[in-house]
Order: sequence, then C-alpha cells, then structure tokens
Amino acid sequence: MTDATTSTRPAKRILSLRINGSTWEGAVEPSALLLDVLRYQAGLTGTKRGCDMGTCGCCAVRVDGEPRLSCLTLALDCEGRDIKTIEGVADGPLLSSLQQEWADCGAAQCGFCTPGFIMVGEALLERNPKPSEAEVREAIAGNLCRCTGYVKIVEAFMRATAD
Amino acid sequence: MHPLPYHRPTSLEAALELKASLPGARFIAGGTDVMVRLKGGAPRPSALISLRGIAELTRSEVAQSARLGAAASVADLLAIDALREGWPVLADAMNQMASPQIRSSATLGGNLCNAAPCADSAPALLVHGARVVLRGPQGERVLALEEFFAEPGVTRMGADELLMSIDVDPPEPGLQTTFLKKKRVAMDIAIASVAAGLVMNDGICTHVRFAAGSVAPVPMRLPATEAALCGHPPTDARIAEARRIAEEEVSPITDIRGGADYRRRIIGVYVERATRALAARFEGSE
Repeated sequence: MTDATTSTRPAKRILSLRINGSTWEGAVEPSALLLDVLRYQAGLTGTKRGCDMGTCGCCAVRVDGEPRLSCLTLALDCEGRDIKTIEGVADGPLLSSLQQEWADCGAAQCGFCTPGFIMVGEALLERNPKPSEAEVREAIAGNLCRCTGYVKIVEAFMRATAD
Repeated sequence: MHPLPYHRPTSLEAALELKASLPGARFIAGGTDVMVRLKGGAPRPSALISLRGIAELTRSEVAQSARLGAAASVADLLAIDALREGWPVLADAMNQMASPQIRSSATLGGNLCNAAPCADSAPALLVHGARVVLRGPQGERVLALEEFFAEPGVTRMGADELLMSIDVDPPEPGLQTTFLKKKRVAMDIAIASVAAGLVMNDGICTHVRFAAGSVAPVPMRLPATEAALCGHPPTDARIAEARRIAEEEVSPITDIRGGADYRRRIIGVYVERATRALAARFEGSE
C-alpha cells in the first residue's frame, strides 16, 4: 500500500520574488531550489549549476546583499527577499568595474565559474572596497575555477580595487 | 530532487505543532547540511519545516553572557562585535567554517544538530561550557552541550523538540583561548581540531579546558588532559604528560581525510602548541 502523502506531488505554491529590482511571480514546487527557479522559470541562466552540493560556488547569487549558494537555498525561503543575479550586475552595456577588469585581465577562460565569482566579489567590494589580496582570497575560498589557477582572477580583483 | 511539502511557521508553537502532526518531517534552517544530504540520497523526510521565519530563533542577545539564536546564520553571529570580543575562540572557529557563501546561510544550531564529529563550532563552545536550550511540547529543557551529542549524526534531542538557543556564560576572568584546526584548504572538513582555554595565576594553571573535534564519535572535552595540567605550572614535563594523555584520551577513526594514528599525533601536537601559546600570554602579566 502506498502512503498517500509521499505518492502524490505536493501542490505548487505561488511565489513572488524580487529579482534584480523587478518582481517575478510564478508557481513553484514547494521544495524548489532557488537555482532552478532562476534558471528554468525566470529564464536567468547566468547562474550556473556546478557541483550541486554547495562546494564549487558557481551558483552564487546575492540574497539581501549576502552571497548565497542558490543550489542549497529553497526558493520559498526567499519570499520577500531582494535577489541579485549576474544578470543584474551590469548597468545596461556598462560593466561593473570588477566585470570590466575580469574581461581585461582574461580572468575568464571557459567562463563557467565567472558568475559565481562576480557575485561573491561584488558582495566583498561593497562591504570592503579596498580588500587586501589575502582578503580577496578568503572571500573567494568557496569558488572553484578549474581553468585559471586563480592568478588572473585575483589580479582582476586587485585592479578593480585600485583607483 | 522529488518535490517535498514545505512549511514556514512564524512561531515556535506552530513549528512544534507541525512537527508533531507530520511524522517524518524535518526541520531545516540554513539548508547547507540538510539539502546536501537530500541530494545525496538520504532518506526522504515527509516534509520540510523551515525555521527561518521564526524571529525568536534568529535573535541573539550578547552582553556579559550570550544567548545565540539557533537559526541565526554564522555570518550574522560573526557580525556581533561583543561576541567576537568576548568569545574570540568561538568567532575564530566560526570564521573557519566552509566559505563565506556557506556562512551566510549556515546556522550555529544546524552545525550542532547535524552532530558531525567535525562540527567546527563545537570544541569552542565546549571550552566555554555552553548549554543548549531545547523546546518541546512539555516546555523548555537545558542540556550541557557535552550531553547533547549522542553519536555521529545523532543528538539527544527528541523528535518532538527543537533547538532554541545556545547559551554561553561569561568567560572566566583572565581566560585565554585558542582554536587549532588541521585542514588542507578552505572548505575542507577538519581532520582534527582543538579548542583550548587557560587561566594562570602565579605561574600555576588554575583553569584548563580542552575540547577536540574529528577525533571521536562526537565532539568531546578532554578532562584527563585538563587534569594533567590543572593546579600545576606548565613545565615541559607537564606539557609532555598532557600531550601523552590527550593522545590516549581521543578515539579517532581512519577515513578518507586521515589515519587514526595521524589524528592522535595531531591532537597531541595541538595540546602542546595551544598550552605553550596560551601560557606565553600570561608571561609578564603577573
């Protein structure tokens, strides 16, 4: 005999999110991950699914300004919170200084980890506009890059913090 | 992941009622352990009950003593100046947890309820004699943190209870503390860790606390090691004795991160390093 509570899909819930300054509303599975809602329902595919277990940092977004891993965050836990994704960092064609230095330094190779690094980096620079290299390395400790060896990434940070 | 029902109560009473009415439901706070386990194929709960909507659980009061909300994020706790200043060993340990993105979600209560032998916050809290406040249908009860851990992944909290807060007394006058954690890189789980607290008067160790992580089924105090130093000056011979006792007092396993023998050695080394470092802080002050 099947237990009715586990065999039926729980009803979807209406969720309203503030994403990059706009309101998004949709029906989501109650245990939907923020990552899936962003990518597959809101169409914001800049946020990447890497390890899917909180280790690589590719899915980092900002929730009320704090860097958060969207692969471990329940979408319904974000109701009413202010969410920022990589799509909301540039001002139209104008890149943020970190994004610009990223491009100029060649800090992106395959580019898959870049959105996560940028979101964590923007949070760091907002809190601490002049971080030391050690502080930069500490801030990006949870972001993995398998291409660059981090040298160009740290260089982009240091150039973004120089006047 | 197969969809699960989700509840977000806004009061403790509602959370406890939901837990009682939904057999097999699981509380979730930051999700950094629960979600990873669910994705890893852990037995599926019947529902998730989020604790993040309960203001009482995310609030902390820090003054002479500290009452830390179980569902407050580690990042929020680290932002409390009085906590960093009053209990630096706890701040140190929390600062070494995982990564900034994890610390902004992960909660202190979750770190303890997950009951991992390697829980980074546990040794520091044990050194301070922390207590956990549990709330169930019958009301509140308080347990020493030492009594809270039963075995790896299991606490002595009832299925109908939840962790409300972690309470820490004012540090003993003059207490000096340190936290040593063996790991390879950021994000790494501790291979072994030691938190230590020491008070010295007239060259004698008058208050000694050691707690260790990742070297026993649960985070543990090291009472025999403490006794070897307490009431004595920290001479080379005493420290060597404490080191030997510490290596015997722990019961590590061999796993992917390190061998049992290696872990024993690390604990001995850390007891010695911590004792010498803390004793040095009292030199010239007496």
